[in-house]
Amino acid sequence: MRINRPVFLLATALAVTAIAGAQAGKTPAGQTLNATSLSAPAEALLDGSALWDQAPAHRISLNRTPPLYDTDEPASLEIPVLDVRVAHAGGKLLVQMSWADPTQDAAALPEVPNTPPETRFRKVPTEADDRFFDAAAVMFPAKPSAMAPSLQMGDTDDPVQIYYWNAARGPMLMEAAGRGTTRRTGALFAAHGSYEKGRWTVALELPDLPAGTPLAFAVWNGSQKDRDGRKYFSVWQVLK
Amino acid sequence: MSKHQYAMVMDLNKCLGCQTCTIACKKLWTDRDGTGYMYWNNVETRPGMGYPRQWDSIGGGWKDGQLQPSPLPTMDDYGHAWEFDYEQRLYEGKKKPVMASPAPKSGVNWDEDVGGMNGEENYFFYLPRICNHCTYPACLEACPRKAIYKREEDGIVVIDQDRCQGYRYCIKACPYKKIYYNEVTGKSEKCIFCYPRLEKGEVNACAAQCPGRLRFVGLLDDPESPVHKLVLGHRAALPLFPEKGTQPNVFYVPPFNPPKGGNYDKSILEDSRLPLDYLIYLFGPEVRDVITRLEAELKMAQAGGRSELLQLLIGRDAATRYRIKPELVQIKV
Repeated sequence: MRINRPVFLLATALAVTAIAGAQAGKTPAGQTLNATSLSAPAEALLDGSALWDQAPAHRISLNRTPPLYDTDEPASLEIPVLDVRVAHAGGKLLVQMSWADPTQDAAALPEVPNTPPETRFRKVPTEADDRFFDAAAVMFPAKPSAMAPSLQMGDTDDPVQIYYWNAARGPMLMEAAGRGTTRRTGALFAAHGSYEKGRWTVALELPDLPAGTPLAFAVWNGSQKDRDGRKYFSVWQVLK
Repeated sequence: MSKHQYAMVMDLNKCLGCQTCTIACKKLWTDRDGTGYMYWNNVETRPGMGYPRQWDSIGGGWKDGQLQPSPLPTMDDYGHAWEFDYEQRLYEGKKKPVMASPAPKSGVNWDEDVGGMNGEENYFFYLPRICNHCTYPACLEACPRKAIYKREEDGIVVIDQDRCQGYRYCIKACPYKKIYYNEVTGKSEKCIFCYPRLEKGEVNACAAQCPGRLRFVGLLDDPESPVHKLVLGHRAALPLFPEKGTQPNVFYVPPFNPPKGGNYDKSILEDSRLPLDYLIYLFGPEVRDVITRLEAELKMAQAGGRSELLQLLIGRDAATRYRIKPELVQIKV
């Protein structure tokens, strides 16, 4: 795959800026995210609890990744901002991401029976081959480090963990150590997404990360054929 | 570049459109969840829409060293894997004919035998298609996951199902639209040239089951193989749409002598039932030379001579049609 060079340089420059900020002991380009301690079980917060109102909402600018490949269709900035709330509850860190998206690209994929397909008269069909689903993710360093990893999925010395949620396939934990290395670990985590009045609200249960941890956010818009690096992303924010 | 390259030649003069190859492949490889609509091997009528519809004109492949854009075909383009309501009609007493659902609108050879008109005469032929296991696969280049690779030992192009994330850039990039997305697994799939069979010395299932005996399989770089003889020796077979730039390793002997009514002796080049322009569209301008060579061989045989090329194309037995030698492609690990 050929990488569109000016775009690659821009993305690299963004990552370098973030890294340089962290290296100098400063906050990377983003905001400080204040985590509120809430006295509720973590599960209660996943499902859109009113308790979230006690945690301040941080409005974070999203950037559209420019076309990475020569054959990419152009995509406009349809989701310019993301609202993030962060809370400590029940020994976990909970992150609520909320954004406006007029198109709900989600599906209940058919259940696959446990029996081998060759023993069944009917097989589960592929219902569509050309749809992409809305998704969201939080990325943070896999190990403590003085410096924020590359925004492009970390790097060899500073790998990242990615808590990824997909409107059709649910949550999956991924890890990466640089662009093109993202790997599903097979581990799951608790998450909940709901769509109401043109808005997604997705809550993810993360491990209890220490203050100072950089967090980066991403949103995929299925109707814009987002998948892979074709997405919306934030620069690094810092957990407080 | 692979050390060796398996290749297939299909003689379109012999294809009867029976889809036995299609079913052989389906039973072996795509009788699983999510694969109902996909046919790694299909036979389509030409001229015609093809499977998926209009695959030959929607894009992909290479031009001036750059991948070309393409939309993703839709399920309507492939044809949904319809089911028949046997339970309702036959067992639950609904007194209506057995019907397919969802209502079929396209399929693997939807416009079967429609073909085209040349003056007042109808013409068509069948085009069996598998993945071309290209020398310069556009799908491989398009995959940001590096999930697609060309096997060094035998040139077969495969998708690593562990690495694939179902992004479908490969489907867009393939100018032959021979990669399919399985929404159940969330991954893309394609013809694997029956490599597990080849590794045991068995020919591809589609070739083994072909009643028309039109498929020839072997290593392109093995001078003893029928594909080497047909493609490089006799130069009687051509790839499909060579201008797409991927250099396919599936080759076709073009249909060369269906006569017009009353024109039995005339060459296709003089007065063809099957418009030469259409064959040039499919196989490039070189098809004219290939047809000239084939006709000369036919004339010689009809005059009582012996044509090695036609004897090979008759393909009387498996030993003539296939040369599968696993020991030639083994990699020492």
